[in-house]
Amino acid sequence: MEITLAGTIIQLLPQKALFLPEHSLLVLGDLHLGKAMHFRKAGIFMPAASAADDYTMLHRLFQTYQPRQVFFLGDLFHSLHNSEWQQFGQLLDQYPGISFTLIRGNHDILKDSEYRQIGLQVVEGALRLGDLIFAHEPMTEIPEGAINIAGHIHPGCVLRGLGRQSLTLPCFYLSGQTFLLPAFGRLTGLHVLSRDRATSVFAVLPERVVAV
Amino acid sequence: MSKIAEDWFEFKGWKPYPFQRQCWKALAAGSSGLLNAPTGCGKTYAIWFGVLEHFLRHRATTKKKGLHCLWITPLRALSKEILLATTRVSDDLDLPYEIGLRTGDTAAAERARQKRKPPEALVTTPESVHLMLAQKGYADQFKNLEFVVIDEWHELMGSKRGVLVELALAVLKHINPALKIWGISATIGNIEEAREILLGAQWQQSALIRARIAKKTLIETILPDTLDKFPWAGHLGLKLAGKILPIIDQSNSTLLFTNTRSQAEIWYQHLLQLQPDLAGQIALHHGSLGEEIRQWVEEALHRGVLKAVVCTSSLDLGVDFRPVDTVIQVGSPKGVARFLQRAGRSGHHPGATSRIYFLPTHSLEILEGAALRYAAKEGKIESRIPYIRSFDVLIQFLVTLAVSDGFKAEPVYELIRQTYCYRSVTRAEFDACILMIIQGGRMLEAYDEFHKVVLEDGLYKVTDKRIALRHRLSIGAIVNDVMMQVKMLGGKYIGSVEESFISRLKPGDHFWFAGRNLELVMVKHLQAIVRSSNKKKGIVPSWMGGRLPLSSYLTEALRHKLQEARMGKREREIDFLQPLFAEQEKRSYMPAENELLLEKIQTKEGCHLFVYPFEGKFVHEGMAAIIAYRLGKIRPFSFSIAMNDYGFELLSDQDIPLDAALVQDLFNTTELSADITASINTTEMARKKFRDIAGIAGLVFQGYPGRQVKTRHLQANSGLFFKVFEDYDADNLLLRQAYEEVFDFQLEIVRMRAAFTRISTHRIVIREPGTLTPFAFPIFAEVFREKFSNESLEDRMNKIKAQLEKL
Repeated sequence: MEITLAGTIIQLLPQKALFLPEHSLLVLGDLHLGKAMHFRKAGIFMPAASAADDYTMLHRLFQTYQPRQVFFLGDLFHSLHNSEWQQFGQLLDQYPGISFTLIRGNHDILKDSEYRQIGLQVVEGALRLGDLIFAHEPMTEIPEGAINIAGHIHPGCVLRGLGRQSLTLPCFYLSGQTFLLPAFGRLTGLHVLSRDRATSVFAVLPERVVAV
Repeated sequence: MSKIAEDWFEFKGWKPYPFQRQCWKALAAGSSGLLNAPTGCGKTYAIWFGVLEHFLRHRATTKKKGLHCLWITPLRALSKEILLATTRVSDDLDLPYEIGLRTGDTAAAERARQKRKPPEALVTTPESVHLMLAQKGYADQFKNLEFVVIDEWHELMGSKRGVLVELALAVLKHINPALKIWGISATIGNIEEAREILLGAQWQQSALIRARIAKKTLIETILPDTLDKFPWAGHLGLKLAGKILPIIDQSNSTLLFTNTRSQAEIWYQHLLQLQPDLAGQIALHHGSLGEEIRQWVEEALHRGVLKAVVCTSSLDLGVDFRPVDTVIQVGSPKGVARFLQRAGRSGHHPGATSRIYFLPTHSLEILEGAALRYAAKEGKIESRIPYIRSFDVLIQFLVTLAVSDGFKAEPVYELIRQTYCYRSVTRAEFDACILMIIQGGRMLEAYDEFHKVVLEDGLYKVTDKRIALRHRLSIGAIVNDVMMQVKMLGGKYIGSVEESFISRLKPGDHFWFAGRNLELVMVKHLQAIVRSSNKKKGIVPSWMGGRLPLSSYLTEALRHKLQEARMGKREREIDFLQPLFAEQEKRSYMPAENELLLEKIQTKEGCHLFVYPFEGKFVHEGMAAIIAYRLGKIRPFSFSIAMNDYGFELLSDQDIPLDAALVQDLFNTTELSADITASINTTEMARKKFRDIAGIAGLVFQGYPGRQVKTRHLQANSGLFFKVFEDYDADNLLLRQAYEEVFDFQLEIVRMRAAFTRISTHRIVIREPGTLTPFAFPIFAEVFREKFSNESLEDRMNKIKAQLEKL
């Protein structure tokens, strides 16, 4: 699925990521890596292997799209440092050709040195690329003509059909000048957003993204 | 024979019942046992004097000190009652026997005092006993313990709190092999089994004493002035409120039972609106209210100064309120035993008649009044199904032992095998539990940092203080949503409400709680600060309550009454409902006892299939899933499923093909087991069970009201856990337990099989009425729905899209 925002072509990927071919840029929001280990450290038996899918998916995306740069739209790592950070660092090491940037979110509370150590640039607040402004939380004031691409919300949508059927799916969500990404991480929840005429919703199915 | 008992009874001017003397004799002989006796006939003293007699005979002459007796009750309200009753004896007879209270409300200072200088007896709850087992050196506290009494055992037995009791008893028996255990239980269908579960491996040498006190119960259904031929759950109840005012007026003191806490709040408000001069004469009592409020209500009931109390199951048990002479049950009691127990809350005097009014909340429910009377007369009292192999409780227990003194695997395995619950647990399963608490399950990778219990020199223990604290805070087998304390601006604690309710409110919003209109001032940590208001509007919190199904005896009685209605038999309730049955017959069909009615109705929503087995909500839920699954084998279907106690509905966007032969086949019993397994995987049932299991086993930590422990970052929704376990650790014991609980308690598998077998002999009647029928309407109006689908996500999506585009 492809859309154009602020004159830029944006591909909406079913892997819950954005690809901007003009900038060779891959954008991912709310990975919440390290969450399984965070729970395990506290004695809660979250199966450790549950994190593995996220890493597999990252590899697949990097290899398929071969981006020059990757933006993480905040909440990359779930709170305190744990051993999964090293695992993530090793993954980044395998892609020396990609520049990785983190736009800091509320869960990103590691030390600056820990980000540096794995070669991740950290940006506070927002990062502007032409008329696209990347931020973790949706901005309250957006300059005219610009589009704010944000995460944080974990948007989901409910589709209703005949026979009281309903489907709840993660989605990309465009409302006015704000464009929200679904959460990438597997261990995350959904926040169902309502729809109206002014919003465009793109639901994420296993194999494709569809406008609804 | 007990000398002090006979003396004390004479002093009181009472005469002991034969069962009391039997108990004293059995206790004097050093037996353990189970006493089957109703409330309000002196069951406490039947056991208590045996305990005292032993103390005077053996303990008073030795230097042995410390706890002599533990009295475990399921309810805090009941604990206080026991404390009062037993202390009275010590005071009257000037005995050196002190009784203390130990519940979740006991202050830390008092707990410390009890540890330093223990009273002779502690009245406590299963959770509090486990908290004591989580303290270092617990064995010392219990080393001279001679008796454990489990009050209202029938109530505990049907829940995982009963498993907590079994485990605690196993530990205490291990400390003192000569421990004497006594249970007290109301009449249930499986009283013999109740004894076996309580006493574990040694049950055969024990006594079973029955009080055999017959009590007369009068049951009267409150009928509306006009009959609503289209019953809608909940719509009738409040309309009948005017009819109970004279009943309350003519009674000395009335208990009005509702099935949920929100209903209690609503009824309390409504009665005051109808008759404002009841203010100050009626009160509200339910489990979410603060201790102080509940205590006040209970004391006022005792003193006989209240005309009525609107209450929930919080007043079901034990406590003996003599002034109460009338009971009103609002809505279906769902079971014969519960109904009779509530009826028994009135007429406590020996030989008195219990009087209970049944107030139906929709018109079909009126028939339950007749069914209850029939079932009560036939003596059909339900059994309580015990939990077995509850690995969640076992894991919690193992961590409890690890938090206090640490444990060794071998002796603990031997110990749990003595219990009824865990007698079939294999060493491999036990080891899997151990593995879970030391390395978080079977997966162990080099970088893993799992930390909970550690193994040092063969001893499993918890070394991290925060883990120990978190564990102590989550001991118990009742899983709640995160609760918020409701406090007045001045700091007075009123009660607790689910956080999810408070989070929907903004400061300045009004809601009804504890019978008052409250304005939310602010939310601070896990506290909702409120002030009183005179507003007449506000919303009522809905607490997540168990939605119980009609019991098998009650559904059987109901089917019997339907048959009688069809045969034209006269009875007050049946006569009143005749126009409804006539309407059902006119629009569709009135099924006989040996017929199964199916109705197919097309509306703009799609194709509705209504089926009426009259087997109770849970059986219908499972049956609907199986029928949906079997229909789905013909071609892919998506269904929305609704059910009530009388039947269920499958709603599809496409036509459901139907003829008698196909229906015969849909209800066949040959591949039932395989189809049950296949169909529950497609519904939410196991996921819902897993929620409680995850809470008990410590996967989900919820924090506790008022404690400012930051836990947000450790909270994840149990649905997420369920999915992760399904995908990555499908053999996990806890996950398997969720499925087993679905079989035993949700699907009520034994009952469902019997229902399928029954239906397989029935004549199938299919009707296609043009509109909804009286039977169909209440199911159609059910808001809570299950889903079933074996269509692909892609197909469902495309269909919904196509439908949207047509609009």
